[in-house]
Order: sequence, then C-alpha cells, then structure tokens
Amino acid sequence: MKTLIALGTAAALMASTATVALAEPGKWTDEPVRIVVTFPPGGTSDLIARILAKYFESEYGQKAVVDNRPGAGGTVAADYVAQQAPDGTTLILGNNAPFTIAPTQFPDLPYEPIAGFTHIAYLGASTPALFVQPNSGIASLDDYIATAKADGITYGSSGVGSITHILGKAVDIELGIDQIHVPYQGSAPAIQDFRAGVLEAYYDMLAQNRDLITGGETLPIALAAPQRSPLFPEIPTFRELGHDIVVENWTGLSGPAGMDPAMVETIHDTVEAIMDMEPVVEQLAQWGISHTEMTTPEFTSFVGGTIDTWKPLIEAAKVNGG
Amino acid sequence: MVILSGFGQGLLVAMQPENLLYCFLGVFLGTFIGVLPGIGSMAAISMLLPLTFYLDPTAALVMIAGVYYGAEYGGSIASILMNIPGTPSSSITCIDGYPMAREGRAGIALFTSAMASFGGGLIGMVVMAVLAPALASLALNFGPTEYFAVILLGLVAASAVSNGSPVKGISMVVAGLMLGTVGVDITTGAERFTMGIPEMRDGVHLVIVAMGLFGVGELIVSIRANATGAHQNDIDYAKFYPSRAEWKAMIGPIWRGAGIGSFFGALPGTGQTVASAVAYAVEKKVSPNKAMFGRGAVEGVAVPESANNSATQTAFIPTLPLGVPGSASMALVIGALMMYGIVPGPRLLIDHADLFWGLVASFLIGNVLLLILNIPMIGLWVRLLKIPYRYMYPTIIVLICMGVYSLNNNVFDIWLTLAFGWAGYLMRLFRFEPAPFLIGFVLGPMMEEQLRRAMLLSRGDPSVFLTRPISGTLIAITVLLLAWSIYAALKARREGRRIAAFSDE
Repeated sequence: MKTLIALGTAAALMASTATVALAEPGKWTDEPVRIVVTFPPGGTSDLIARILAKYFESEYGQKAVVDNRPGAGGTVAADYVAQQAPDGTTLILGNNAPFTIAPTQFPDLPYEPIAGFTHIAYLGASTPALFVQPNSGIASLDDYIATAKADGITYGSSGVGSITHILGKAVDIELGIDQIHVPYQGSAPAIQDFRAGVLEAYYDMLAQNRDLITGGETLPIALAAPQRSPLFPEIPTFRELGHDIVVENWTGLSGPAGMDPAMVETIHDTVEAIMDMEPVVEQLAQWGISHTEMTTPEFTSFVGGTIDTWKPLIEAAKVNGG
Repeated sequence: MVILSGFGQGLLVAMQPENLLYCFLGVFLGTFIGVLPGIGSMAAISMLLPLTFYLDPTAALVMIAGVYYGAEYGGSIASILMNIPGTPSSSITCIDGYPMAREGRAGIALFTSAMASFGGGLIGMVVMAVLAPALASLALNFGPTEYFAVILLGLVAASAVSNGSPVKGISMVVAGLMLGTVGVDITTGAERFTMGIPEMRDGVHLVIVAMGLFGVGELIVSIRANATGAHQNDIDYAKFYPSRAEWKAMIGPIWRGAGIGSFFGALPGTGQTVASAVAYAVEKKVSPNKAMFGRGAVEGVAVPESANNSATQTAFIPTLPLGVPGSASMALVIGALMMYGIVPGPRLLIDHADLFWGLVASFLIGNVLLLILNIPMIGLWVRLLKIPYRYMYPTIIVLICMGVYSLNNNVFDIWLTLAFGWAGYLMRLFRFEPAPFLIGFVLGPMMEEQLRRAMLLSRGDPSVFLTRPISGTLIAITVLLLAWSIYAALKARREGRRIAAFSDE
C-alpha cells in the first residue's frame, strides 16, 4: 500500500488564491490574552507560547499570559477554548494531538476540529527521525529493514496514538515490516531505556536528540521530513531513500469559532512579524522548528488536510495498538 | 580529589551574594508553597519560570532547586497539623504526623520532620556529590525488568503497612491498585473506567486522591465531631524539643529513609512519593516500635521526611548529567536550562562544572537555611491550630480547591476531590486505613506499566525477570521477605493469642 503523507505541500499549492494580508501588526484587544497550552509547563510547546506572550507585550503592548491546561492528549484544552467567547482574548497553541490525531482517535470528541475553531496562524513544524543503536551493525534504512524482517525489531514511542507511534505505523506499512511497538509516557523514558540497551530503536524529534547524536550515543538513519535538516544535513530523508513518509509535528495558533476577520488578520500578521524576528528565528532553529508562512485560509485547510491524510495511519495504529 | 575540589569550587559559587539571596528566596518560597495544600513545587516553579529569564543560569537553577526541596520541608507542616498533605509525597507523613498532633505532640512532630528533612537532605547531597557519575550509570542500567522487580519488592513490603485487620489492609491495597488502573491504558490505548469523561483519560491525579482522602475527609470527620469550638486537644505550645528517647528513635529512620530516598530519587520516574511510600513500608517492617506505626510514631514521621528530602536532591542526578527528567518538576528544570541554551546531558559536568557544583553546594546552604527558618517557626505553625474551626475550615477548603485547580486549571478536579473526601470520610467511619490504599495507588500503575513493557521487550518470555542480574537479585530478596513474613506469622500463631494484644480491632 502506497501512503502519501504530504503535509504542507498541499497547503502551499493553494497559496496563489489567498488574499494578501492588509492588517498592521499590533494589539487587538485591551483585555489580557490567554494563550492556552495543551501541555504542562516546560516543553517546547510551552516555551513557544511564552515567547509569543513575551513579544506580544514587549513589541506590541498586547498583554498576554500562558495558561497550561494539560490533559487527555490536548482535548481538554481544545474543548475549553472552543467554548470561550471569540473575542480574541482566548487563543490555543494547537498541534497534531487535539486537531489531527484526536478526531480519528476519539470518536466521541466534544468539539469540531475545523468548524469549532478559527485557525489563525501556522507557526512551524519539527520532524521526527528513526534512531538506532550506534554499534548494532545497523547503519542504514536497508540494514534496518533486513534486521526487522529477519529477527524482528523493538522500537519505543512516546505513547499510543502519539506522533511517533503513528510514524512507526507509517514505516510498518510503507516498508512492509512489522516492528514491535513499545509505548512509553513521553520520549524521555523511551530514550532512557534505549540507552540502557533494552530498546533497539525509537522514533523522536531530531533536535531533542542533538547531544546524544554528537556524543555518539544514538544514530539517526532516516528523517520523516520533506527535506534534510540544517542541524544534521548528513541524515537522509525517508523520501530520498524511496519511501514516501513525511510525518511532521506541527504547531499553530487558533481561537474559538466566529472571530472577527479583521482581528484574525491582525493576530495573524502580529504572529508573522514575531516569527520573523532575529532572536525568535534563532531560538526556533535551535529547537529544530522550521517556520513557513501560511495565510489563515491556508492554515485552516492545512489542518483539515492533516486529519484526512493521517486517518488511515491512526486507524491502523488503533486496530493493533501493540 | 575531583569531588572535593569540585565541591569547594561550587561552594565559592554558591556563596556569592547573588546566589545566596536567590537560594534563600527559593527555600522561603518553597516552604510557603509547600504549606499550601496541593500547590506543589510544580506550580511554584512554573510561576517563577518567567522571572528566571532575567537571572544568571546558576542563580536561576539554585532558586528553582530551593523551591523544589523547600516545598518538601513545607509540605510536611500541613500534613502534621491538619492531615492535609501539602505536597503529594508528604501524604505519607500524614499517617503518623497527624496522630502525633492529635496527641498534643505537634511541636515534636514538626521538629522531627525538620530534623529528618535536614538529615535526609544532607545525606542526599553527599550521595549526589560522591555518586552522581556512578549512580547515573546505574540508573541507565535500570530497564523495565529492573523497575518491575524493585516495585514488586516495595509492594510486598507495603502489604505489611496496615495496622488493623489484614483483610481490610489487603482490600485497601487492592482498591488502590484498582483506582490506579483508571485512564487510558498506556500499552494499548484502550480507555479503562473513564466513563466517557475526557478528564478521566489521564487517570486520577495523586494530589486529588490524597487531598480528598486525607484533607477533605478529615474535615468532614472533624465537623461531625466538633461543630463549634477550636481544636479540642490540649497542645503544649512550648514543647517542641524531643526527649532523649525520641531523638534516639529518629536516628535510624533518618539513615534508612535517606538511603531509600537517595536510591528512588536517582531513578527517573519514581521520585519522592514512591521513595517515602517504600521507606515507610520498609521501616514498618524493621522498626522495633512497629506497633505504634499509624498511631503517632516518631519513626513514622522521620522516615518519609528523610526519604522525600534526600530524593529531591538525588532527583538531579538523572536530570543534569543524563538529561533524563525523573519527574514533571525536573522536566521544568530542563526546560528552564534549555532557555539558556544549556542542554542537560553527559557533557554538563564538564562544560558547566560551575553550574553543577554550585548547585550541589547550594543544597548544603539551602538545607541549613531551611533549618534556621523552620525551627523558630514551629511555635508559630502550631499556634495555627488555635484558630477557631469556623475560620479554619472554610480557609482550608478554599486552599484545597485552589491547589487542586492549579494542577490542570480544571474545575472537574475539584469535584473529584470532594468525592474522594466523602470516600475518605466513609473509610474512616468503617475503620479502613488509607495508608495501604495510597501505597497501592502509587505503586500499582507503575508496576503494571513496567511489567507489560518488560514482557513486550522480551517478546513474551517471562524468564527475563530471573535471568537479568539486578532484577533476579531483587526478586530473590522479595521471595525471602515473603517467606520470612509467612514464617513470622505462623510462629506468632503458634505462640497463641498474645498477638491479639497488638490488634485494635
């Protein structure tokens, strides 16, 4: 079965028809804005929200605070935001979990992922890679396939239904192998077990493993991005190796449905202006997040597109979760 | 010696006025936040995070660490005085601390807790300084098989925790294990006992259970017992200095608690709560005074406090040199460091030696500061009990609600806490003990997760538990412990009805 998971490219094709933004960056409400984050404090997502909040205030005088509402894969936060007034005071730093994965994963979702929100601005995506033990004799994707077919292989993910699990499923389907999935609660414990030598492989974001890679403790053999990463340009993509697997972890800013279009435009342009600032660009590059500009309608159809393209993979992961 | 010169160098860093100030600020804030029920170090650190943008990384880390272990000091205060665990790990301290306070020995309990925390903290610091590299690699050798074996040992030891009837004790452990299964199954993604409520998908948070069972439950009992007056027990406000016998009783538990605490602190994923739960269970097995456990034993206060404070120090072992956060709070620490462009990992000890050793040295200073801060405050804390119930109860309920809300910023959690409050009240009414319940709840889900993961990795072969050396040894100890307790029970039965004197049922 050939699975095409091209995120971003589909949206980019629609760019030509989108209207040019006319609004000036600036504050959009006199009230303080809450940026709801679907994770507890500390992760990259939380840090991005804090960067936005900081520059909203220092550059544009728009007061903003970060509101962490973790739980149930981000669906608690999304459900909460969907019910708030669309006055620009409540925004959500959304991602795959509540908007791409949950609609397929949980059939009785209390919110509408597209109609229930105003998807405002795309912030960027980071990419996961396949990592193996450096001294295992596996040095390329072909070695990996051979080992998996001969002896079977165990891989760690950051949880059932997580992006790394879905990538694992995509690899299973595309490469025609059957890896043994070992789920963890987040990538940190999976990497710990990998370093203890009990796991043969794992999938995780490339940038988060920078130190382990340079220290020679882990070996990335393929990247699930459309192109190579500037952090480690020597790592090939799955696509280059002849397997069309692109699974990216996107982040964007959304609000409740029914926001005033002029306000949406202002927020969008303010976010874009911040994303272009020198320190922000540098910081995001450190975290391995690549930003491309999308207009509001582009971003909305991008979110809808991810739901459709990921659906078969998520269903495959659901049926045989192990 | 590298360690001594490193520590000396660190002491110079930690003694800089700026770092000293932030250390004090950290432990002071930590104590205060620890006293407030449910608002733990996690909430405090995330509130401080924006402030650290403006600080030097060492000062920021010293302050965050101060909040982290300061909260463990403070957490025991509310546990002892009001039976409300200020932090999740101090819920174990409730078991003996609160009975001591009811007997009018609140001052002594607080003093014991401060001394045990200090002792545990210092031992934890020494362990971190001396063993950081070695323990870091040991923790790396701990795979799911080893985790399962060590938790099994803890749970077997815990089955001895109940004071009353063994049937009630075991049924409480089982009830705790069952509550622990609520939520999305980590291995398959299937929802278990969530009743279709999204908030239940992540399971029931320990803070909610502890606050409900101990805090709210206790309030309901007290309201029924005494609707009008102030605290009905006579309290000797001046008396907080322990007697000679009490001093002696505290020494052993502090050492054992610190040993167990240092070990569990260094293991990622276990942390202070498991440390104090296991330490309490072990102490109950080995203590000569085991009959008093649960009824106000000094040892029962000393051991969990020593364990959780040493665990807060050794929690930095996997976090800094390995970059593996052992707990949510430690993940925040890593997040804070990443904002400075410092990536925790094996190179940290070399590239940022000042930061690492400055932090270790700040543990020494911070613990001394906490002792200075806390001993004179005992009188003040105990006087809190003089506040009439009609002011005290509403305040406590408000604080509990705030604390629970701060977990996920979700009102649902407040309702759940109140429900557990009623459960706690009923448990007390029918004399079911909360301690085995809590231990089952803490250890059960971890044991299940590691067992299933170990079986996945071994591709279904259960013999790995015996063939891997660390796991095999731990299982052997567990079997010996079980055999010994069966033997002891049989012997006691043969010796006749004497045992009845120890039972309060």
